[in-house]
Amino acid sequence: MKNTFLARHPSVIVFILILAVITLLATVFSEAYGTGLLPTNYVKILGKTLCLCLIAIAMDLVWGYCGILSLGHFAFFGLGGYMIGMWLMYARTEDIVIASMTNAALPPTPDEVRDAIGTQIFGVVGGSDVPLVWTFAHSLPIQLALVVLVPGLLALVFGWLAFRSRVTGVYLSILTQAMTLALSLYLFQNDSGLRGNNGLSGLQNIPGLTDMPQSVLSIWFMWGSALALGVGYVFAAWMVSGKFGNVVKAIRDDEARIRFLGYSVEAYKLFIFTITAVIAAIAGAIYYPQAGIVNPAEIAPIASIYLAVWVAIGGRGRLYGAVIGAALVSLLSSWFTGGQAPDVPLGFYTIKWVDWWQVLLGLSFVLVTLFAPRGIAGMFDRLVRKDAA
Amino acid sequence: MLRPLLIAALLAFATPPLALAQDAAAPSDTPAASEQVLDDTTPETPATLGPLQAILQEHQKDVAKASRRTVDEVIAAVREAGLPQGLTFLERWGDRELWQREEDGLFFFTKKAEGQNLTLIDIDTGEEVGTVSKRDMTNLKPNSGVRTVIASSLVASQLEDPDPARRRQALEAIERRAEKDHLEPLRASIETETDPVIKARKERLLRVITISFGQTTENRVEAIRSFSQDLSIDARAALNPLVVTRIGYSEGEPEGVNVARILTPGRTIGREEAYALLVNDDKAIAARTRAERKAALEANIEEGKVGGVPVSELSSQEARDRAYSNLVDEGKAPPFVTDETMDAELAKYTFYEAYADSNTEVTTAAAETLDSIDQYVGLNRFFSLVLDGLSLASIYFLAAIGLAITFGVMGVINMAHGEFIMIGAYTGYVVQQIIPNYTVSILVALPLAFVIAAAAGIALERLVIRHLASRPLETLLATFGVSIALQQIAKNVFGTQARPLTSPSWLDGAWVINDVVAVSYIRIAIFVLAIIFFALLLFVLNKTRLGLEVRAVTQNPRMASSMGINPDRINMLTFGLGSGIAGIAGVAIGLFAKVTSELGQAYIVQSFMTVVVGGVGNIWGTLAGATMIGFLQKVIEFFNPSNTLAAQTYMIIFIIIFIQFRPKGIIALKGRAAGD
Repeated sequence: MKNTFLARHPSVIVFILILAVITLLATVFSEAYGTGLLPTNYVKILGKTLCLCLIAIAMDLVWGYCGILSLGHFAFFGLGGYMIGMWLMYARTEDIVIASMTNAALPPTPDEVRDAIGTQIFGVVGGSDVPLVWTFAHSLPIQLALVVLVPGLLALVFGWLAFRSRVTGVYLSILTQAMTLALSLYLFQNDSGLRGNNGLSGLQNIPGLTDMPQSVLSIWFMWGSALALGVGYVFAAWMVSGKFGNVVKAIRDDEARIRFLGYSVEAYKLFIFTITAVIAAIAGAIYYPQAGIVNPAEIAPIASIYLAVWVAIGGRGRLYGAVIGAALVSLLSSWFTGGQAPDVPLGFYTIKWVDWWQVLLGLSFVLVTLFAPRGIAGMFDRLVRKDAA
Repeated sequence: MLRPLLIAALLAFATPPLALAQDAAAPSDTPAASEQVLDDTTPETPATLGPLQAILQEHQKDVAKASRRTVDEVIAAVREAGLPQGLTFLERWGDRELWQREEDGLFFFTKKAEGQNLTLIDIDTGEEVGTVSKRDMTNLKPNSGVRTVIASSLVASQLEDPDPARRRQALEAIERRAEKDHLEPLRASIETETDPVIKARKERLLRVITISFGQTTENRVEAIRSFSQDLSIDARAALNPLVVTRIGYSEGEPEGVNVARILTPGRTIGREEAYALLVNDDKAIAARTRAERKAALEANIEEGKVGGVPVSELSSQEARDRAYSNLVDEGKAPPFVTDETMDAELAKYTFYEAYADSNTEVTTAAAETLDSIDQYVGLNRFFSLVLDGLSLASIYFLAAIGLAITFGVMGVINMAHGEFIMIGAYTGYVVQQIIPNYTVSILVALPLAFVIAAAAGIALERLVIRHLASRPLETLLATFGVSIALQQIAKNVFGTQARPLTSPSWLDGAWVINDVVAVSYIRIAIFVLAIIFFALLLFVLNKTRLGLEVRAVTQNPRMASSMGINPDRINMLTFGLGSGIAGIAGVAIGLFAKVTSELGQAYIVQSFMTVVVGGVGNIWGTLAGATMIGFLQKVIEFFNPSNTLAAQTYMIIFIIIFIQFRPKGIIALKGRAAGD
């Protein structure tokens, strides 16, 4: 079965190969295992970009294949980051607290340890108690499960409410945006129990692996990201290739007709919406330990819109399109806004890319939508495969 | 000449108790003054001091360096003497017009003389007694606290001053610092008051100070009850001290105190708190807190053991308690109060809250009146809330109506709508830079913002949206691209800092209805603007040819097209209209919020919500949506005033749930027009 699947989808093999080559090259040139040509910082950027590609695949599934323009998938991404971040932060603080208490006259009681952790983590928002949502923060397996469960449940409930009442099209986009805004505003509060606008920080330090230098960790995380992306890609390709995929695409093209053919459109939509939310959350859970910090600003509605922009520029309805779009735009974005791009002197005015990149991005986005609705992948198709639909 | 006499008489009237009480202590009040040696060139110390000067010299230090603690004594001394010049002295002292000669410490009033010199004026006689250099004199400047006390001592005499300004000053002095002595002069002065405004103020003030200083309980209770519908702060400030309570306890029934309520430990008063009261009075042994017990354990570590328990085992509370009780048994630590002993101790006493004021009738009246004021305040708050909601609703209406029209007609969401609001606000800002007169600039900015935003909207429609017809989701994303580009351009042109858009002076201030309810004029103006546009749009859409065509295209573009309507033209015009109104909304919003490149972003989501909740393609729907969202936000903020973030979160959740029940909004198009 797998052979036939891969045989029918040569692009999957190509993709996996390219991914493996990139990852291997990065390892060979890395500081930890190779020549040291590639600084650790760049390895981290690469790893993060792979995670962004994974969420772009999720976005492509839900939008490009199912026609639901969700402006909320970055919220699931952020939530995944929060869930793993809680364990990272709690466990690391616990280590620090216990280490600092070993010299005390009396060995600490569990309550004392918990109080000290609470003060350490929540002092910044004026609290000292460990809030209820942190109940399982000490346990890695539970938090890992929550990475999937919390965003998945949120997507399930929200999707059930939305699809059940047949909210479609632009309405649904606005509604998902509202959900994202509500979530980010909620997290911005100091008493939400997740440290308000400070977010969770210090996530790049993995408890139990404190001796491992960041250069090694970054490679491991990059491999992890690549693995997740590869698995996600194959899974997505498998999902959209069979009969299920055909129904999903048909819903995109004519929802009413599929409903009249007897398919439960709502169930399909809900499934796609939820499964992509889970993929997004997993991507986030791998992304944020590399980024080191997750805060509510990451969840703001604008982030989800950018996600849609990546997918649109890369090319909707093609998984590799989403990957290309995410990688290209996010890397270009950090290159331009990082101040590395050379300024363009016009004589009377110097274009500083830090200031003008957004304008360029916005306008190129309009141009892509107008003139290349299939995105970069679409142009690619036209060049490579004459038989592109 | 009449005035000082009158003042003196009043002063004497106002201070009989003091004067009588300390009659014996009065200083030599047989003045032997007026024989001063006058010399124009070299001021000499008069052989004998004037009576007032004599008194002041006794208190020389307290006058020169007056403090709030000592000033009462000086004033009392001056008033006891009953000298007519005493009053003038107090007034001028309070006005910082008193000078002290450095060489002998005598006090003088002064007048500016030639050059750096001052002409000295005797404080007793008011005659000029010489000229000295300013450098030899010190100007005494009592601090504001001292001046308040001086002013309050003067009010009695000023209350009947012919000058209304001085009478008002006197009232202000009483309001700041009322005293028992003020009551009678104030009551007396009401009879002869001619100015109706001041009279009303005096009568009110009389009631306020009667609350605290009324002679009989009936007087006070009557005064207290008269404020039951009064929203002003000073009434509550006068009443609140009466209901101040303190917590006490007694064995058996509390006696001799004005009990407000009985407290039950563990319910109306914390057990620890109640117990601490007992401990404070040595009625019980102090309870050892966990930290104190831990400290005791740490202090008693002997050979790795505490009370026989190895230190390494002390990592649980249970083990620590065991070790501590061992320590207690050994007599090395004070006993640990268990919950049972604490309860037993607490049960011996009755805890209560008692009013500081022992007069039951007064405290009951005050408590009831405060309750009734609170209710009245609540009622007014509600009214204020309604006004706030209305104001917010009109802002949302202005921001969203353009979006609703374009969404209704063309079925596309314009993500750049917020940026059209921003364009309008920046237009207002630029116009103000060119036209300095704020009134004129606003009148110019409003139409100009409409024109510019409409032009931008038409350009967007022709260049982008028209080519994406029938692809609404892509329109959404393309207009989003326009939105981030416009936002960044505005940031590059105008910078990131907020630009002020100043309202004309006739829009400053607020319409104050009472102490609780006030509406700023800007908000009223925005409300009026929203009403105007609502009416205008109703008229255009229902009574004009354009409106007919717009409605036709809204319902069925192809059918409209076959009836000879050009949908492209209609689309362009409605887009221009919607964007233009956004520009106007921008000017209005800029008047109360700072103009930044993110201005539009702040309103765009609310605008979407308004459209979605209200229903598409219907002005009434937008009105309903804006009203609902505006009121909802204010009501949620009312229940949780400290946390506007939470308010917005709850509101959005509410809207998501609301959409469940009315997926097409409050006012949905029916029949074929609903389409999809």
